[in-house]
Amino acid sequence: MRSALLLALLAVAFLPGRQAVAAEPPRAEQVQSDVSTREISIQSNFTGIEIVLFGSIDFSRAPSLDEGPYDVIMVIRGPNRAIVVRRKERIAGLWMNGASKTFPSVPGYYAVLASRPFRAAAPEAVLTKLGIGFSNLDFGKTSEGETADDGFRASLIRLQQDHGLFQESDDAISFIGRSLFRGSVQLPVDVPIGRYTTQVFLFRNGKLLSQSQSSLQVEKVGAERMIYTLAFHYPFAYGLLAVLMAVSAGLLAWTVFRRE
Amino acid sequence: MLQVYLPVAEISVNLLVMLGLGAAIGFLSGMFGVGGGFLLTPLLMFSGIPPAIAVATGANQIVASSVSGALVQWRRGNIDFRMGLVLIIGGVVGALAGVLLVGLLSRLGHADVFISLVYVTFLGVIGSLMLVESVSAIRRTRAGQPARARKPGEHTWIHGLPFKVRFPRSRLYISAIPPLILGAIVGLLASILGVGGGFIVVPGMIYLLRMPTNVVIGTSLFQIIFVTAIVTILYAVLNHSLDILLALLLVIGGVIGGLFGADAGQRLKGEQLRLLLAVMVLAVAARLLIGLLVPPEDLYSLGRVVAGA
Repeated sequence: MRSALLLALLAVAFLPGRQAVAAEPPRAEQVQSDVSTREISIQSNFTGIEIVLFGSIDFSRAPSLDEGPYDVIMVIRGPNRAIVVRRKERIAGLWMNGASKTFPSVPGYYAVLASRPFRAAAPEAVLTKLGIGFSNLDFGKTSEGETADDGFRASLIRLQQDHGLFQESDDAISFIGRSLFRGSVQLPVDVPIGRYTTQVFLFRNGKLLSQSQSSLQVEKVGAERMIYTLAFHYPFAYGLLAVLMAVSAGLLAWTVFRRE
Repeated sequence: MLQVYLPVAEISVNLLVMLGLGAAIGFLSGMFGVGGGFLLTPLLMFSGIPPAIAVATGANQIVASSVSGALVQWRRGNIDFRMGLVLIIGGVVGALAGVLLVGLLSRLGHADVFISLVYVTFLGVIGSLMLVESVSAIRRTRAGQPARARKPGEHTWIHGLPFKVRFPRSRLYISAIPPLILGAIVGLLASILGVGGGFIVVPGMIYLLRMPTNVVIGTSLFQIIFVTAIVTILYAVLNHSLDILLALLLVIGGVIGGLFGADAGQRLKGEQLRLLLAVMVLAVAARLLIGLLVPPEDLYSLGRVVAGA
């Protein structure tokens, strides 16, 4: 009992000292980051938005302006959702959907930005572990009995890219001075609503030094939010409202324009 | 410019294009005295609106045009309310079946093809019939013959059916079964195609039920209000595929277009109008058919998986 107390006292006495020792050599680089818009509001005039991600490298050892040894990779992810990919086939002369494959957790939005081609910035094993790049995305386990054709996964990525929902852009991050950097990314009109995460990775010579995370929220606001909420949570009232709107428009047209 | 974000469809559309589309359909429906749904839904689909949204929103738009049309007919005493009610009862059953069917096919990924196929079939048949009829009518008037008078109603197999109901306004005493079935067919088509179904119910009333011609249009419009209203609500509740903002744009355009259409319609002869309409109906059918037959640019497509469905 007494020896235990002594040990505890010793530990308390030595602990601050140990921390001080660890901090003595040149401090490791730390990356800090944030986004320009933390809340994105979807209103009736929404046609997509560009967001800016910016950050800085604390304790940068870059020798001069724009000549840093650092690579920065940013990953922006939207909320996951299940997506079914269908392939059209010719059945009885008509083109209709045939085979399909369901991917249970596809990011609703996914963008990779890098200060130079990101595959050169870090070894493939690290990229795989961090889920950087389309080829390293995990869409969850596809259900059994469905076709094992890789064309579905490739097409999913391609179609998401066509919609601007999946992006890979090298050289999209620029450095400002020794330690500041910024990158911008476009969110298209059909971005899913929900919480987005942004990750910023700092590399030097292919080694991950530091990472930082932030998040942003995409939401419908005002009338759009009201309509959306009504449509999905009170669908009967919503349908009734739509019918009332149409009936009153018809009544109005009749009273205003009748010629009798 | 002037893009508007549709909160339920989750796409951005051009405000003026949608108002113009509503106006064009309103113009046609004012001119021809038809609901215009059979043109509106395909045109919405051509302009990139998902079929399920196009059908539900199209049905909602028809509520507005049929209300003002029915009111005009009501003032002239041209509505058989009892017959309308029987048709509506059948219509509710048909509409429910249709909405459930489209919902099921949507989840299986076959809704687009199914809706297109039903459209091609109906528009093709009706367009061809109208074309033949209007061309021969124009020929007859050119030849100087008067329009044929219809033969008075005769007793057919319909009069042998049970559950007879008296319809005083139509001066009919017939079984309730044929109008119930007719109503159900109209409800089914209204929900699958996003149309009022006037093109089925009007010939059905004239040739099958042998109703007097003067009450046919009014009664048809009266029941279309209710059938399309029910279809709208069913889609909102079961499929969440109704976009009220899109419907509002189409309704506003439709009201304005309808005003001008009615004027234009009075300057053309009936046969000419029917010929023009037949050509348009066949053009839409052909466009849909091409979409089914031509190899698609992209074999793959994405669909959302609706939770709990």
